[in-house]
Amino acid sequence: MDRSDRSGIRNVCVIGQAALPCSRFQTPDEAEIQTVEHEILADVVVRAVAEAGIGKSDIDSLIFTHPRTYTKQRYFATFMANYLRLRCSGVVMEVIGNGMTGGLAFDQAVMQVASGVADVALALGISVETAVPRTTHLAYQMRSNGDVDFHAPFGFTPRVWYGMDVARYFHEYGATREQLAAVAVKDHWHGSLNPLSIRGTPFTRDQILAEAPLVDGMGLLELAIPADGAICLVLAREEIAKSLGKPYARVTGRGFYHEGVHEISEVPNDMLAMASCARSAQDAFAQAGITPADVSLAELYAGSTIIEVLASEAMGFAPRGKGAQLAVEGETRLGGRIPINTSGAPISRGHPAYLTPLYGVYELVEQLRGQAGARQVKNATIGAMMSELGNFSGASVHVLEAGR
Amino acid sequence: MTLEIIARPGKRAYPPRVTAFTQTFWQGLLDGRFMITKCPKCGHMSFPPKRICAECWAPNTDWLAHSGRGILYSQSVVNAAAFYFAAELPFRLGIIDLHDGPRIATRLIGMDEPPPLGCEVELVTLAYEDGPLYAARLPAK
Repeated sequence: MDRSDRSGIRNVCVIGQAALPCSRFQTPDEAEIQTVEHEILADVVVRAVAEAGIGKSDIDSLIFTHPRTYTKQRYFATFMANYLRLRCSGVVMEVIGNGMTGGLAFDQAVMQVASGVADVALALGISVETAVPRTTHLAYQMRSNGDVDFHAPFGFTPRVWYGMDVARYFHEYGATREQLAAVAVKDHWHGSLNPLSIRGTPFTRDQILAEAPLVDGMGLLELAIPADGAICLVLAREEIAKSLGKPYARVTGRGFYHEGVHEISEVPNDMLAMASCARSAQDAFAQAGITPADVSLAELYAGSTIIEVLASEAMGFAPRGKGAQLAVEGETRLGGRIPINTSGAPISRGHPAYLTPLYGVYELVEQLRGQAGARQVKNATIGAMMSELGNFSGASVHVLEAGR
Repeated sequence: MTLEIIARPGKRAYPPRVTAFTQTFWQGLLDGRFMITKCPKCGHMSFPPKRICAECWAPNTDWLAHSGRGILYSQSVVNAAAFYFAAELPFRLGIIDLHDGPRIATRLIGMDEPPPLGCEVELVTLAYEDGPLYAARLPAK
């Protein structure tokens, strides 16, 4: 590993962070007393910057996740800059990219620091959706996850694509519902140890299997639980990180790939290979100078257990067709060979979709700083965070390393 | 070969938009033809139809009537959907690799039990009062 490299992304560190527990804090329109996003996020920003040990005037750039459509205040980034009276000479902007939104916000904040435009950049955002009826939310989602004219008229939803992944996975590898449920058991146990988890409860395999399937092969406890959330990560040059005299996490690799496909490829391909995830992981690991075996833990954007399984295979943590079996054998749990989603994953920690990748980074930083409490992975030195969009037609991977 | 045209009562739950370009597809469907586009230069086939070749960026494509037959690549039941589809629940959706053609995703009909992946399916036209949709089923014979 080239440790002399002090330019580019290897110079970028996460030096502080704060997040609200994933929860339900959006108020319905008819509520007499409302919660509003800017009040909530402002508090999180102040906490994160204080935790980092820097000052307001040190901040150069603000990279927001674009709020979901349910946030009434538009031009949210510039509105927040005003609410916090934050004067910035780098950039103030919002990014959007389906489920990858949080990953893109982190990536852009990394680039701000890596390029030298900013000494300190915030990657931050708030996401609310839990007071919106699910069937209304699905009507919004169906215009995202597929073609409005050639998929939506048939009733496609994000979860259906997951169900079709499951059906194909069972068909190709003979994997079973019980094996897949082991992934949920593991994630719910992790989540029960995470104060940020919206569920925070362990479930047995029988409890998980007792839920009626919402799509083929998966029930309620195997699918991401919608949540509201708010989070702020503070990124800075390593020189600044070192000057603060506290543990931090340094970015060492980054990969991104888009297959030029939205949901499904019109040219028949191996849908389970998740080529974008595989490619972005390869690139990120190569830049970090590591192999999958060097990774201490991974936070994978997974709207359902099948996605966690397929991603763990695409990234090289599990052989093809064995991702679910590894959960049965305990290899992917805390204390196992490669702990995956120690946060509890979107099925337990919760899924404020546009923020989920930032919550993934948050978990890695806690682990790499040795502050994960009951969830602490022993000797955690290298973490990987993957975010994706569509049915994995695009993905990004970031590698972080413990620094001090 | 043409698609069977099945009359359906009522209107489509969430009608697609028709453009000056895609009306060739939707009109073809009403006549029992499943029209895809094919590049005259590189042979790349697209569905949904595209004006340009997505692969080599040739500025024009040709329309081609596909048999509408293919292999079921995957499928899933849907027990919860957007409010438009409340009256249709539960229903089944699938991914189909058309023979020597593109991969598509659409509604599956006449399959109460999960169909075996890899089985042969055929497309049909569903002629609603306000326009057509298409769906896949196990072959009629």
